[in-house]
Amino acid sequence: MTSAPDHSHVIAELEKHPAALLSAYEEAKDRVTSAIGPVSALKWAEEGVQLANLGARSWEAATEYYKASPLVVEIIGLPQFERWLESGAGLVDESPVVASSFFRASPSVLNTLAPRHIAGWAMLGSSLSKGTWKSSSLAARFFDISNDLVENVTFHELQLFVSLVQTLSNRSYDLASEALVLGQRVLPSVGEREELISLATVLAETSWREVRGSFEAAARVSLSVDRKLRRRYFSLTERLARSGMANVSAFMIESAASLARLPQEQQVVVLERAEELADISSEAVGAFLKTAPTVLERISTSQLDDWYQRGQEFLKENPDGGVAYFKLESQRAEQLLEALSSSIELDRVRGLLGMYANALAGTEVQLQSVSELAHKNIGWVSMELATTDGKNVFLPEMVDQRETKAENFSWLKVVTTHQVGHIEFNSFDFNFNGEAARFEDLRRRVADGIGAKPSATDVSSFFDMFPERALAADVFSVVEDARVDANLLQRYKGLKEHYYSVQEETLKARSPIHEMPAQKAMVELLIRLSLHQSENAQVPSQYVQQAQEIAALLRQVQDPLATVEDTAEATLRIYHLISQVPNEDVPPDEWEEADLSETEFSEPDAEAIVQNFQRQVEEGEEGEGGEEYESPEDVEYRGDFKPEMVQLLSKMKGQQGDSDDDSQEMAEGLTQEEIEQMLRDSSEVDFGDDAEVQQVASNMMKEAGSDAPDNPSGQGYNSLPHQDEDGGPLEPSEPRSFVYDEWDFRANDYRPRWCVVQERTAVAGETAFFQDTLQQYSGLMDQIRRQFESIRPETYRKHKRLPDGEDFDFDAAIEALIDLRGKVSPDDRIYWRRNKDERDVAVAFLLDMSASTAEAVEEGSRDGEWNAPGDPVAYTAWLRARRGETSRRPYKRIIDVEKESMVLLMTALEAIGDRYGVYGFSGFGRENVEFYVIKEIEEAFTDKAKRRLDKVAPLHATRMGPAIRHAAAKLAKTDAKTKFLFVISDGRPQDRGYSREGVEKEYAVQDTRMALMEARQSNITPFCLTVDRNGHDYLRTMAGDLGYEVLPDIMELPRRLPQLYKKITL
Amino acid sequence: MTEQTYQRHSIEEYVVDSEPFYLPVADEIDIFEAAYAERVPILLKGPTGTGKTRFVEYMSWRVNQDRVKTGNPLSSLVTVACHEDLTASDLVGRYLLEPDGTRWIDGPLTRAVKHGGICYLDEVIEARKDTTVLIHPLADHRRLLHIEKLGEVIEAHPNFLMVISYNPGYQNALKDLKHSTRQRFVAIEFDFPPRDLEGPIIEHESGCNHETAQQLALLGEKIRNLIGQGLQEGASTRLLVYTGKLIERGIAPRRACEVAIVWGLTDDHEIQKSVMEVVTSIFE
Repeated sequence: MTSAPDHSHVIAELEKHPAALLSAYEEAKDRVTSAIGPVSALKWAEEGVQLANLGARSWEAATEYYKASPLVVEIIGLPQFERWLESGAGLVDESPVVASSFFRASPSVLNTLAPRHIAGWAMLGSSLSKGTWKSSSLAARFFDISNDLVENVTFHELQLFVSLVQTLSNRSYDLASEALVLGQRVLPSVGEREELISLATVLAETSWREVRGSFEAAARVSLSVDRKLRRRYFSLTERLARSGMANVSAFMIESAASLARLPQEQQVVVLERAEELADISSEAVGAFLKTAPTVLERISTSQLDDWYQRGQEFLKENPDGGVAYFKLESQRAEQLLEALSSSIELDRVRGLLGMYANALAGTEVQLQSVSELAHKNIGWVSMELATTDGKNVFLPEMVDQRETKAENFSWLKVVTTHQVGHIEFNSFDFNFNGEAARFEDLRRRVADGIGAKPSATDVSSFFDMFPERALAADVFSVVEDARVDANLLQRYKGLKEHYYSVQEETLKARSPIHEMPAQKAMVELLIRLSLHQSENAQVPSQYVQQAQEIAALLRQVQDPLATVEDTAEATLRIYHLISQVPNEDVPPDEWEEADLSETEFSEPDAEAIVQNFQRQVEEGEEGEGGEEYESPEDVEYRGDFKPEMVQLLSKMKGQQGDSDDDSQEMAEGLTQEEIEQMLRDSSEVDFGDDAEVQQVASNMMKEAGSDAPDNPSGQGYNSLPHQDEDGGPLEPSEPRSFVYDEWDFRANDYRPRWCVVQERTAVAGETAFFQDTLQQYSGLMDQIRRQFESIRPETYRKHKRLPDGEDFDFDAAIEALIDLRGKVSPDDRIYWRRNKDERDVAVAFLLDMSASTAEAVEEGSRDGEWNAPGDPVAYTAWLRARRGETSRRPYKRIIDVEKESMVLLMTALEAIGDRYGVYGFSGFGRENVEFYVIKEIEEAFTDKAKRRLDKVAPLHATRMGPAIRHAAAKLAKTDAKTKFLFVISDGRPQDRGYSREGVEKEYAVQDTRMALMEARQSNITPFCLTVDRNGHDYLRTMAGDLGYEVLPDIMELPRRLPQLYKKITL
Repeated sequence: MTEQTYQRHSIEEYVVDSEPFYLPVADEIDIFEAAYAERVPILLKGPTGTGKTRFVEYMSWRVNQDRVKTGNPLSSLVTVACHEDLTASDLVGRYLLEPDGTRWIDGPLTRAVKHGGICYLDEVIEARKDTTVLIHPLADHRRLLHIEKLGEVIEAHPNFLMVISYNPGYQNALKDLKHSTRQRFVAIEFDFPPRDLEGPIIEHESGCNHETAQQLALLGEKIRNLIGQGLQEGASTRLLVYTGKLIERGIAPRRACEVAIVWGLTDDHEIQKSVMEVVTSIFE
């Protein structure tokens, strides 16, 4: 046995290289020796030398080799150690840099990597390295991050991942190394790595961007999709990717987000359907997954099948239509959904119930959704409870509590009727000093007794009297609701059945009264009585007497003669009783069933009530002890009743308008501070802090102001808010906005409620423009006027063989004479008469105000126009306009010619007395189709119209369809016998989102065509006139069989338009 | 031998001889009587089914009551429903051609003018414009009827009175009554009676029970709230009466309303549904 083998040759060799090598060797030597013995250690040392000598920079690899050795050997033991070394040596051959990384990474990687995979691991790295500098650094990178991967990923998955990276590296090493990092970050957090990598591999062939996207989206998928389903989800995605779906990552993000909205059992169903769809259309899968949660909100999982099946059939027939169906951008889809769904959406019944509400209330009541009211933040916060602000009724957006549609509708009808009932039976007209019909008036006495001062509204003056305001407000609400219900039931007998069933259900659903403290229980009892609880009323034994009195008081108010003032009187008395009940728990054995239906009403002792109030006010707000009073739960069908807020708001509105009404004592305005104080006092609103109060107060002031009459016009041509194109049906949110469907010719179906037309009154300018134009075209105007005047007599036609008329119809007369001679009774219709066929024409002109109309037109000789008019008045006008025009624009634009033509035509139309409206349209995007009223059809021709025409100016885009639909709707309202719609444009229809992939131009043209056809069907004759020389190509499609004209020279328009009009309308 | 089962009158001899049911809403009876005493022509305006025709019948009966006592000849009621083909000669009269010549026959207006009675031209603006030529001289101080074809002028009988009616609602603006015509008449406005009056009217006319009549009157009121908001005209009292009759004959109230009111009012499906909701709220 020799002693420790001599390492001097090793040292000598190592000394030839930079010192780091030797020191690495020396640091490791002892630990290695002790681990594997001196003999093997020498071999170990020599191997290092060999490595170092392999090439110019291989010493670096050798250094890492030495550094890693002690740890590695301790982890894997000697035999494996050799295999490790072999793998390393192989790598050094390829690239010392790669090998360095390999050695460096080894100690930590080998902690987790099974020794049998060592060689494989090295191979993976080496497979990435192709001898180039970039490939080496990729491989090195791989080893650097291997630890993170190996810790979380199986070796098989690692292999797949590397092969993905390799594929990417064929394209770009940057991408590949980015992928490595991404994998390091994402793979550990994803469960279905194999599937993800496999998907990414498919994507790698087409787009790196998608690979990255899919990796990033995968993390979201893990969060949203149920664990058991993820595998299927990924393989579905892969299938879609294979079938060539673009934008896979977006698909993943969207579908993950929408699946996240579904519980697991629905996810399965949806995913199954999506898998079926994948065979037909990948686009439909995306659409379906995205809309499924919305659909499932409205129909059950089993109904989804029906809906899906229909869509699938449809998809096979017409791919575009099918996709639109699943996107819910199709009327068919909506209709079927509606038919299947048992829920009632407010939008669908808004018209129906709105008119119903109008009929009952006798005033114009608008139905809106409660969330709209809540968003206004003017004191109403509930997103579900129906309510009213005294003018409009606010209802939940969706009703889905009952089994069937009919039941849900009945429920909503009851809810609506109750809210309208508050309007019909004047809940908000409470007058503090008004006389009650069924009670002696005590309000004044109590107020005087406690020295209460009047507040800004009658309701707050009333509530101000009560030390426990919340209790008083609750009692008032219940009593008033009961009064309204009683009145409604008395008047509307047909409602009884539904009303009672709603009340009965409400009763059943209420929390047990035994668990309530006594005071709250008394209010609860009041609610139950108001819901017609007829038997088994549970009352604390101690307060049976009070309960009987309360029941009798309530019955007084349920008399049809009772008014809201009676409600107030009853409130006073009931409050008097309940406020003396301490809010303490009542032991279970101290309840009894009481018969409350018998007690006769008798006026309580007024003096006692006044004294009780005085005493309570002196004692302060502390009641009779016990817990603090807390309101019982809401009665859902009665919603949210806020008389104080309604009176305040309507008073504020009154202030804004004319102050000549009869609110003399309140004539001085309310300041923001006063309103805030009232809000703080009111128990109808809960506030977090003062900032909130201020916010609500200022919102209320805005709300009150915005209602001031006569301000819809003059909005001006502001720049447009830009909104996203995606999304479903739109709602008209502002007054004078209207929603129209849009025709999707590829889907062969309408996109429901797709465009919002905002109607505005055009801004008024000067009348000089009008006069000026007439002056400018005076010759032409005379001619047109003559032509038009000649239209009138032409409408007389001769009618023959009449029993009476202007003169004999000789033919008939001769025949009659012959009959007479022949002694036969002749026909006595022997006259003729000119019959004036009344010309009964209404026409709407629709002017294109798109940006392109700002284009300058070539003017021929306009010298005539430079001649100043002789008349001095006209001359001044001419001069002023001239100056104005030249200072602004030295040239004429298309729109100017359009306007001039309208001037001539309008003047001519006045001569023949046709009714006509002039409108302009433009807009940007489907949410914002602007429709400017220059003159309404029934509006008289005044300076106003002239002024508005002056300000017509180029704006944005040209979404013709909705503008035509809106103009047609206006025409449809007139009762003229003959109706025309003239569209005057300068180019093809176009707008943001007015298209469909692949058929951009066609889509807009087809929708416009459909709009024109719709007009045609409602007996309106449409006509398109364009000054676009290239107009023939699309006009043929758009209006081919309807009538159109392309005007090659725009300067011809002023002459041609009246001619055309005459030609068409005769 | 056939039995004559109908009553035949010459047009100028038709007299309202039993008292028609009429419930005054305001002072229209006094106004009419005063105008009648002075032979001032009367214009009744108001929507269809508000009792204009019934009012004329009633007044025609009423002005005869004194004559019945005094034994004076009764005043007749000549009603002409105007339509768009009604010409002046339809009112005045015309020559009939007969095998052996021509024969003149008087039109209804001429008969009323000669005989003395109330001539009621219902929906007068529906008639052709040439009728105004006749109406004007009859409706002012002259009280003359020109018969152009005969070259005659007839002074109206002292008992002659012209009453015309028109409905400002549904005619369009072009077909409005001319001012020169309007200003020859005393105008009495008719509108739907208030609910508490309409109930008894329905009850009386249809014979239905009190509660049904009240409900029908309520329905009428509610439907009329929709005029201008989708409905051009409200449900007339006449329709409500018909409905009452159907209900009295055993038709279920909701169904009776549907056929007699809802479907008659409008063809718009949406509005029909809304009105039906009102119906189902009121009737069980």
